[in-house]
Amino acid sequence: MLDDLFALLVFPGGLFVVVCGLVYMWLNRKLIARLQNRIGPRWFQPAADTMKLLGNEEIMPAGVDPVLFHLFPLLAAAGALTAALYVPLGGVNPAFSFEGDLIVTITLLGLLTLMTGLAGSLSADRFALVGANRTLTQLFSYEVPFLLALLGPALAAGSWQLQEILASHGGRWLLIMQPIGFVVAILGLLGKLELHPFDAPEANTEIVAGALTEYSGRGLALFYLSRGIELVIGLTLVSALYLGGIGSPLAFLAKTLGLLLGITLIEALMTRLRIDQTVSLWWRLMSVAVLVQLLIVVIVGRI
Amino acid sequence: MTERFTIPIGPQHPALKEPAHFAFTVEGETVTSASVRLGYAHRGIEKAAETRTFIQDLYLMERVCGICSHIHASTFARAVEELAGVTVPPRARMIRTLVAELERIHSHLLWLGVAAHDAGFEALFMYSWRDRETIMAVLESLTGNRVNYSVNVLGGVKCDITPQLDTQIREAVDYLQERTEHYLHVVNTDRVFLKRTKGIGVMSTEQAIRWGVVGPLARASGVPRDIRVEAPYDAYADFPIDIVLDDAGDLAARFTVRLRELFETYRLIRALLDNLPEGDLTTRFPRRIKQAGEVIVRSEAPRGELFYFVRTEGGSSPSRVKVRTPTLPNMHSVLELAVGAQLADAPMILAGIDPCFSCNDRTSLIRRGGEQDIWSWEKLRQYGIEVYRA
Repeated sequence: MLDDLFALLVFPGGLFVVVCGLVYMWLNRKLIARLQNRIGPRWFQPAADTMKLLGNEEIMPAGVDPVLFHLFPLLAAAGALTAALYVPLGGVNPAFSFEGDLIVTITLLGLLTLMTGLAGSLSADRFALVGANRTLTQLFSYEVPFLLALLGPALAAGSWQLQEILASHGGRWLLIMQPIGFVVAILGLLGKLELHPFDAPEANTEIVAGALTEYSGRGLALFYLSRGIELVIGLTLVSALYLGGIGSPLAFLAKTLGLLLGITLIEALMTRLRIDQTVSLWWRLMSVAVLVQLLIVVIVGRI
Repeated sequence: MTERFTIPIGPQHPALKEPAHFAFTVEGETVTSASVRLGYAHRGIEKAAETRTFIQDLYLMERVCGICSHIHASTFARAVEELAGVTVPPRARMIRTLVAELERIHSHLLWLGVAAHDAGFEALFMYSWRDRETIMAVLESLTGNRVNYSVNVLGGVKCDITPQLDTQIREAVDYLQERTEHYLHVVNTDRVFLKRTKGIGVMSTEQAIRWGVVGPLARASGVPRDIRVEAPYDAYADFPIDIVLDDAGDLAARFTVRLRELFETYRLIRALLDNLPEGDLTTRFPRRIKQAGEVIVRSEAPRGELFYFVRTEGGSSPSRVKVRTPTLPNMHSVLELAVGAQLADAPMILAGIDPCFSCNDRTSLIRRGGEQDIWSWEKLRQYGIEVYRA
């Protein structure tokens, strides 16, 4: 009982993952700033942003359903926090595990995007509506290839349970055997987090803040935090599945940070793609590529 | 999704650095109609100029535009000098041209950053603005100010090129030439960036001529329109420039034309420094202009043709000053090109003309109530006659 509470509130869920999220977000912002020849924020900036937002007045636009308006950010945060319980955060075995937890985790991660989209379509704000439309369009384009990319290692191991998959691979770097899947997974993560070049849903030079235009105060803070948590979970999943399992916590930390650097480099180098270009990239190229990858996995068998 | 929306861009919007209002009607993501409302930054400068002396107006006109301030002041100075029948010494003419070209570098690099930002290419934005600082530092050493340099006086210029400044300018130009080559390479080869610029907002040569667009926008559509060549002023008669043209007419062409123009500018700056004649910086300018008269003066501002009309009844102040900045003739093309484009491309098409709204805003009509009020040419003319009868 106490163990479960600890797992829920302190480690790996709750406090740990929130702090991790803030630190990773800071690293992401700092790195991108340095790559763009800027100074970048100080280490506590994401935490300060969140606290300030939590303390700010929350303005609710006229005509929205108050229950849903408050429920969506809570659900998004809840989804992200729950997902944290099923992944090997910090290189430690997941707190809970059952047959099929990989699928559940990915679904829970998708909740944030879905909630963002629904939150955007709640108000009559035109920027939010277009943003929500784009968010959901993007969700339907990257989600399937992303899922398939994470299923590659699962198929190779013959299990849907994360712990078993990792045990069956025993520290092998699947990046070498399934390179296409790895690339799609990384790009899928960028799409999921709405980072460059897939940030059309919140392109500020067109639609201000996209789906979240009408959010302020606590709701915005929760969305912001959930995004940080998703960043951590996404990096954890990809490095566990593709970069040689969990191993020692220190080595695992190094791997996730390496991945973060990779993501930041892509982000800094890219121009924002239009939403139609994003969709065509995912459906014409990425999904075909990842299917080819799966085919190879199935034919060659359990590598 | 086929629902129709009107997306308001402005008067306050992250894509706009100055107030203007664009209404893009979209079906899904495709723009089906576009309209613009200007005039939010109308400051009554033309009217203010009539109540001040020519010397005060020189400072006022410098403040029409915050980016291309020198070209406004020097064009106004040329107009007044022509009215007074004063000839500016050759060295002063060369320095005016030199500063105008330095300003063009700063304006074009600024634009590169803003346009890249609108495309979501933040790295290019940050780097081009870092390099722009080089030219800002040069302008500061030369004139004492980063913006609104106040180089001109009626009858000449205020600041001189010392040997030390000569070296500083040459070094800056060498460095920027290298950087510009790099940026040209980036905008021509970055495949993701080209996806956002190649074939977007295409304006054919015929359209460019019909809509009367000016400056780099016209040159990117293959229209050889450049006041520095058509009606050379200051030092351009002795140091001609080659017009940079591109036939593609899309956003990518607007990037390459502006960047390639910079190489012409670098060459011209070196030539001007090499051939700077000795001599006075100013000539005596009369306190009062003896006879009445009117004059039209045109220059090539970084954004295109800048038009000044100045009339005086004699004395020490003008009776009418009319300014037309290049944004006005270019604005129409945005509305035409945005229709049929994706919503995501609309801010880039707008950025492609390098808009400068507060320079452009000459009148502002406040509409109360819902009724549409379009003035006919006759009504406008009658209004003008009544206003200027006194």
